[in-house]
Amino acid sequence: MRPILLQGHERSLTQIKYTKDGDILFSTAKDHVVCAWFSANGERLGTYHGHQGALWTVDVDPSTTLLATGAADNTIRLWDVRMGKCLKTWDFPTAIKRVEFSEDGTQLVAVTEQRMGYLGTIVVLDIVVDVNAEQADEPRLRITCEESKATVAGWSYLSKYIIAGHEDGSVSQYDSGTGDLLQNVQVHEEGLQVTDLQWAPDRTYFITASKDKTAKILAANNLKILKSYVADTPLNTAAITPKKDFVILGGGQAAMDVTTTSSRQGKFEARFYHRIFEDEIGRVKGHFGPLNTIAVHPRGQGYASGGEDGYVRVHHFDKPYFDFMYEVEREQARR
Amino acid sequence: EDQYELDTANLAIVEQRRRALDEWLAWRALVENELHEERRALGLPEDPMEETDPKATEDAVVE
Repeated sequence: MRPILLQGHERSLTQIKYTKDGDILFSTAKDHVVCAWFSANGERLGTYHGHQGALWTVDVDPSTTLLATGAADNTIRLWDVRMGKCLKTWDFPTAIKRVEFSEDGTQLVAVTEQRMGYLGTIVVLDIVVDVNAEQADEPRLRITCEESKATVAGWSYLSKYIIAGHEDGSVSQYDSGTGDLLQNVQVHEEGLQVTDLQWAPDRTYFITASKDKTAKILAANNLKILKSYVADTPLNTAAITPKKDFVILGGGQAAMDVTTTSSRQGKFEARFYHRIFEDEIGRVKGHFGPLNTIAVHPRGQGYASGGEDGYVRVHHFDKPYFDFMYEVEREQARR
Repeated sequence: EDQYELDTANLAIVEQRRRALDEWLAWRALVENELHEERRALGLPEDPMEETDPKATEDAVVE
């Protein structure tokens, strides 16, 4: 099926998120506006205005009541999904690079940028999932990243751990109650940052993408590297597909970083790998610039990609995608 | 002889995939089991999708 092109952003995309049922998707870009779209037909449902800087990140709670965003204007904002109203603004000394709700929606983790005089931090806000509720003014927890700033962070199963990816290519596991660092593992090539971290549906494992041109799957409980996917371009994003055992990777070098560039070189394609066998199995073309973000429909029906080119492309998987199986998988299914 | 080598190589790949699949499935079974037990101990439904599925809670909203 042909992808649906979502036109509405004027600058490069930074993050895309589906609601839990997959009906709506939210996108953020450097143009200060959050967009909400119907994933089935690409119709724009609304926009959320208020941020005064580039938006870096977005997440929606599992009941689709609240939306959280983080931006270069040094604020996290909480929005009423339905009314588009800003309910709460938290100010920080530096930009917010990442936000993520815990699996029950009652906590929000955020990554703050490092800047002269300020180390990067990871903060946790307690959230009341109710548009009329008073929200806490101060974070419940602040973790300071002394070694290397965090670039991404998220919640494990049962919100036990906060897992963060860092600028130096390492991944950390923190106790989400106390903020204690439990483990730090050099997962990616040293000095090449972790650019994305996305979860399996039950949050027992996650995938990281890195500028080192690889993506890896790690277990949330012990940070063991389970799988590794090798690409030929720096990666900005990686996602896990429910229903099928695949992963989707996106990246590409910006034109300013290379002497000759062309979308025909295949650097701007979404790449599909088999999650278990680690082989590349297909590519999807379309964007005219690097892919900055990929989100997969929570029920595995499709995916959306957001590019440096300012477009969101929504894809619905068709029958051959669902039918694709390795011979050993067929064998297994027959057992 | 070339064909023989090719077949052996293919067989080795298939064998490797079979092993990878078995290992993965065994690991998943272990982790899922642990998670279900932990969730039960906390009095949560086994499947986290249940507790916050918007479609499941929609009817409970009284306007």
